[in-house]
Amino acid sequence: MASVALSEAEKVYIVHGVQEDLRVDGRGCEDYRSVEVETDVVSNTSGSARVKLGHTDILVGVKAEMGTPKLEKPNEGYLEFFVDCSANATPEFEGRGGDDLGTEIANTLYRIFNNKSSVDLKSLCISPREHCWILYVDVLLLECGGNLFDAISIAVKAALFNTRIPKVRVLEDEEGSKDIELFDDPYDCIRLSVDNVPCIVTLCKIGYRHVVDATLQEEACSLASLLVSVTSQGVVTCMRKVGKGSLDPESIFEMMETGKRVGKGLHASLQSVLHKEESLGPKRQKVGFLG
Amino acid sequence: MAGLELLSDQGYRVDGRRAGELRKIQARMGVFTQADGSAYIEQGNTKALAVVYGPHEIRGSRARALPDRALVNCQYSSATFSTGERKKRPHGDRKSCEMGLQLRQTFDAAILTQLHPRSQIDIYVQVLQADGGTYAACVNAATLAVMDAGIPMRDFVCACSAGFVDGTALADLSHVEEAAGGPQLALALLPASGQIALLEMDARLHEDHLEQVLETAAQAARDVHTLLDRVVRQHVHEASILLGD
Amino acid sequence: MLKSKTFLKKTRAGGVMKIVREHYLRDDIGCGAAGCAECCGAHDGPALEPQPQDRASSLCPRPHYLLPDTNVLLHQIDVLEDPAIRNVIVLQTVLQEVRNRSAPVYKRIRDVTNNHEKHFYTFTNEHHRETYIEQEQGENANDRNDRAIRVAVKWYNEHLKKMSAENQLQVIFITNDRKNKEKAVEEGIPAFTCEEYIKSLTANPELIDRLACLSEEGNEIENRKIIFSEHLPLSKLQQGIKSGTYLQGTFRASRENYLEATVWVHGDDEENKEIILQGLKNLNRAIHEDIVAVELFPKSLWVAPSSVVLHDEGQNEDDVEKEEEKESILKTAVNEKMLKPTGRVVGIIKRNWRPYCGMLSKSDIKESRRHLFTPADRRIPRIRIETRQASTLEGRRIIVAIDGWPRNSRYPNGHFVKNLGDAGDKETETEVLLLEHDVPHQPFSQAVLSFLPKMPWSITENDMKNREDLRHLCICSVDPPGCTDIDDALHCRELENGNLEVGVHIADVSHFIRPGNALDQESARRGTTVYLCEKRIDMVPELLSSNLCSLRCNVDRLAFSCIWEMNHNAEILKTRFTKSAINSKASLTYAEAQMRIDSATMNDDITTSLRGLNKLAKILKKQRIEKGALTLSSPEVRFHMDSETHDPIDLQTKELRETNSMVEEFMLLANISVAKKIHEEFSEHALLRKHPAPPPSNYEILVKAAKSKNLEIRTDTAKSLADSLDQAESPTFLYLNTLLRILATRCMMQAVYFCSGMDNDFHHYGLASPIYTHFTSPIRRYADVIVHRLLAVAIGADSTYPELTDKHKLADLCKNLNFRHKMAQYAQRASVAFHTQLFFKSKGIVSEEAYILFVRKNAIVVLIPKYGLEGTVFFEEKDKPDPRLIYDDEIPSLKIEDTVFHIFDKVKVKIMLDSSNLQHQKIRMSLVEPQIPGVSTDVSNINEPQRKKKKLEK
Repeated sequence: MASVALSEAEKVYIVHGVQEDLRVDGRGCEDYRSVEVETDVVSNTSGSARVKLGHTDILVGVKAEMGTPKLEKPNEGYLEFFVDCSANATPEFEGRGGDDLGTEIANTLYRIFNNKSSVDLKSLCISPREHCWILYVDVLLLECGGNLFDAISIAVKAALFNTRIPKVRVLEDEEGSKDIELFDDPYDCIRLSVDNVPCIVTLCKIGYRHVVDATLQEEACSLASLLVSVTSQGVVTCMRKVGKGSLDPESIFEMMETGKRVGKGLHASLQSVLHKEESLGPKRQKVGFLG
Repeated sequence: MAGLELLSDQGYRVDGRRAGELRKIQARMGVFTQADGSAYIEQGNTKALAVVYGPHEIRGSRARALPDRALVNCQYSSATFSTGERKKRPHGDRKSCEMGLQLRQTFDAAILTQLHPRSQIDIYVQVLQADGGTYAACVNAATLAVMDAGIPMRDFVCACSAGFVDGTALADLSHVEEAAGGPQLALALLPASGQIALLEMDARLHEDHLEQVLETAAQAARDVHTLLDRVVRQHVHEASILLGD
Repeated sequence: MLKSKTFLKKTRAGGVMKIVREHYLRDDIGCGAAGCAECCGAHDGPALEPQPQDRASSLCPRPHYLLPDTNVLLHQIDVLEDPAIRNVIVLQTVLQEVRNRSAPVYKRIRDVTNNHEKHFYTFTNEHHRETYIEQEQGENANDRNDRAIRVAVKWYNEHLKKMSAENQLQVIFITNDRKNKEKAVEEGIPAFTCEEYIKSLTANPELIDRLACLSEEGNEIENRKIIFSEHLPLSKLQQGIKSGTYLQGTFRASRENYLEATVWVHGDDEENKEIILQGLKNLNRAIHEDIVAVELFPKSLWVAPSSVVLHDEGQNEDDVEKEEEKESILKTAVNEKMLKPTGRVVGIIKRNWRPYCGMLSKSDIKESRRHLFTPADRRIPRIRIETRQASTLEGRRIIVAIDGWPRNSRYPNGHFVKNLGDAGDKETETEVLLLEHDVPHQPFSQAVLSFLPKMPWSITENDMKNREDLRHLCICSVDPPGCTDIDDALHCRELENGNLEVGVHIADVSHFIRPGNALDQESARRGTTVYLCEKRIDMVPELLSSNLCSLRCNVDRLAFSCIWEMNHNAEILKTRFTKSAINSKASLTYAEAQMRIDSATMNDDITTSLRGLNKLAKILKKQRIEKGALTLSSPEVRFHMDSETHDPIDLQTKELRETNSMVEEFMLLANISVAKKIHEEFSEHALLRKHPAPPPSNYEILVKAAKSKNLEIRTDTAKSLADSLDQAESPTFLYLNTLLRILATRCMMQAVYFCSGMDNDFHHYGLASPIYTHFTSPIRRYADVIVHRLLAVAIGADSTYPELTDKHKLADLCKNLNFRHKMAQYAQRASVAFHTQLFFKSKGIVSEEAYILFVRKNAIVVLIPKYGLEGTVFFEEKDKPDPRLIYDDEIPSLKIEDTVFHIFDKVKVKIMLDSSNLQHQKIRMSLVEPQIPGVSTDVSNINEPQRKKKKLEK
């Protein structure tokens, strides 16, 4: 994982600050850095979003492709995740260097989306057992400034919100062979409901306290963290402990409660940003990487 | 249904450009803070990011170090969602490796590598959206990124592609024009000296037409230079304001 | 430059892929009106006139430009092409739609636009900043395009107002779509339908005839009953074809029977390759060459192809009941083996209509404006057209285009296009046969001529690079008399080592025709020179064909030479190819050359050379025949023309001399040598010629015919066929052998050009050669030009170019060449037929000996050796009681009353010209001997009308 080298003195400084609810950049323990979200940044995808969280820079593209439903779920479509930790973020990721981290993040994403309530997969089915939409959610890590999981989950949610799937109809002739026909009107498309898509809140145990949205430096001071995926209703859908250290059960409950609380707030502000952007319609000036 | 008409009788291309016109180019330097240098470029719908790390010590095996100059290390990768049909892998396939090599050759020719012996310069380019001319966009983005990193170069490296349709050379091909299967030429130019840093052509083209196509590509590369030069000056201007001069 | 462009995006979801394309809008696109200050010089090429005043329209008296929509362009192109229609704006939106929907119309529009006289202007509205619009929610692509067109018209009208307020220029929108027109009028755009506008042009009433009549206004017909079943929509057809319910194929109407057609099913499936359709309703409005979908009937309804000859001769109206009666004639009891897959047309996949030549059959009703048009091609049904000039058009050859075929109409609807001239007039008839066979025969355009070398021309030093100087050699050419396009010359000399050096020198046409230029494109399009009886339609301009490329004697010419070293047994020791410069010492005719060889007194260089060639040729021929090459026969005739009137005065069958075969032998050898060389060098892109072996079933008729004369013809290999043909002789019937060879020729397949990379069977059956191509006639065949280029590259004498080594392009070229060659052959035959008619017109009625070639159900086909003429003797006549006919397919034979006719029987027939149908003047033959009461014509009354006729003529 991308990391920084810190001296012992620096670490002590950070740990002591957290103890006082005062972090190096001036935030409190439950404060996020400012999040920049922009959707529809890659025009040849079905949906895309770029999220900047401090120095962490994530680009997510969603591509809808036609495929066959999985055998065990004949009337559902499905999502595929892929995370590319590009060498842009750090030279360590050159070649196959980023693969391990990429796989780890992708697996986490699979886990939090492996849940009936998160996305309505039935709406992705075109004709049972034969055709469905597969949403390829591709995450591109461009710069790494700590708290990757949270940033990625926000970006995935924003990109899914932005996703538009063309409407198709299935034509069937007497022989039973099927043909797919696209609707003439490009405005006619399916939108996914993302109300129940969870976000990840990572809580970093630093000293005796925990912080949300840790920077790279703070991550370097933490031995263990708890990853909680929370829906906008504050429901925890998945939880995972990461890092080499250990946690006592009591602090886990504490951290979970914090996660729920912070997560609800995070969802609310994300939702409002997305709707605000949407209301601007096509007239919105796209910034992308130029601003 | 008839195939696409690449150049209409009125002289317009599919997207409304005339034969020698470039697509709209927009660029920005210093996109990222952690890297030593970075830049972003849009050439029409082709969008590329470049970051530069270095010059720094050789990473990995010391044996790779060159006694008299810096090692230029390039990686080309293209986002899985960048192309019309989703790609399986962002890098490591044959095409990406070849692109990496080409970039390396191009920048070996442009960077004053002898100033940094036994060190390494990493150039990573990432294509976010591909709509033809990815090589050119990568070179142009990387030029800006190398400058942003403050690494001395002989000159700008400006690249542009050109094609040939119905006896007319077209500059800066878009994806549709590339996909039509005609001859294409990729050219990287050092505009001040007029030297060519890289030249590559696929598909066959009659010798007699080569000059016309080459000249079109070179002119387009010079136009690119004008634009990049403007971007660099603007960036330096902004930076100096920030520094409070 | 770039800064002036606004940037917009256009997304299209095609398949499941989202495609994003950039779409730039510009503000430097001109309106096309000459002298417009606003957008001065922003356009070049043909522009609109600033003061269009040539049309007087009662609807819009002000000067105006026209702006037609897509459907008007597609359907009314004939009107728009008329010189009276000028100053038309063609929108890019419209042009693109036309391009997607009809390639021929698109090409015609481009031609019109390039014609400066017409003042057509293409406005690139989709990239203009003020006329581009985006598809809105709930709007389909068609509606969007209609709106885009209206927006452009509106823009134009406002723009022109700015240009000059006082001359009140207007743009008038022409559309036949009622809704679109209403919307346009609502928006304040002057709009008319095409009919309204054309009818308002009081100065040009003749234009109305050229309007396509579209079924919408045919209210008169509407209440008539429906004759045909509906055509299924394309999507249904495609599904049906995919699932195998329907079969897709090319519709081929029968020339002999208007109620019958076959469909050649596409694909490689051996079964159900050919489907028979019988009866009007099953043909269901398909027209010759259309791509159709057919439904196969169950086996119980299958029929056999009828051997009845039936022409559509009913006057005018739609008597459907009668047709049904006729249809029943077709169904005759036949044994089961004869039954063929039968079906009906359920829908049309692609129409292949073209303008048709033919004549008007004037309606019996005097004032009627509706008339039937009878195409010259019997496979095309009659077409109903509307015209006011019927009396002028009567007796003329005219061109008509089909517009549509409603379900309730017995005939398709069409409109008049062009008047060619009087029927029977030699010029008109030649024009007709060229048009009908799609032979490009317009004079060469300026663009083409501009690529000709400048005169006076001579060989320069540059020309001699990569070229051998062979001017010192004693080369001569041997051709038919009067030949001006000499492609080949020969030489033969003894070398010091005692071997012989033989050279074939072919005109170096590819030196003058450079790849890709207009001259090259035009030659490639024409494909071949077409020889008619009194006219030659050149493939390349005359300067080349009859002068610079023609290897005439005593002038320096460029050539491509193939030179062999041979021993006296004609074994090839060495072959080499080179570009060269030659100077022919003599241009001989076959007769002259023969005379030199035969006369013992002549011993000059030319004659010795000829003798050497002749000797070798004989050996070569023998070797070839041993290998199984076929000597076939077809009766070839030449006309002796009256030098003044150019009317044929005598017919003569072609005479063959030794020298003919001498030249032929060396040409074959050169072609084979070149074929080997180019295939060796370009295994994937060599242009070769093959002649497939015919399937055994083709020979059935030949074997049966020979058997009836107690002869055996073996057809297992080419060699055994050649041998058995040689042995098939009868001491009492000398002409039998020739007849058998003629019949064998009919069994053969067509030889075709192909690209070596697209095929793996190269064999030339007729010549018994494993590989073959055409190299020796580049002046008159385009295939040879390509072969020259390939060979030149192979020997390093010329450079290559991309198309030359693109096998798909080459395959397309071969397809065109094969088509042009076939058409040239048909045109040639039609020309001979026409001149035969002229000949018999002057000769009156004659009676001649003839041999039966084929036996049909109600007729016999005979060949008259004296004239090389073939004709059909019918035994059913309209006003006579039908004789008793018994047809036996097995022998085959036809029994009429008590006389039995077999193939090869000798008969005597009366020949006369039947001009009762002006359009299809034909040679009519009737039986004289053997006499059958009530059937044969009495000889005694033959001479009488002849005398009478002569008197009348005086």
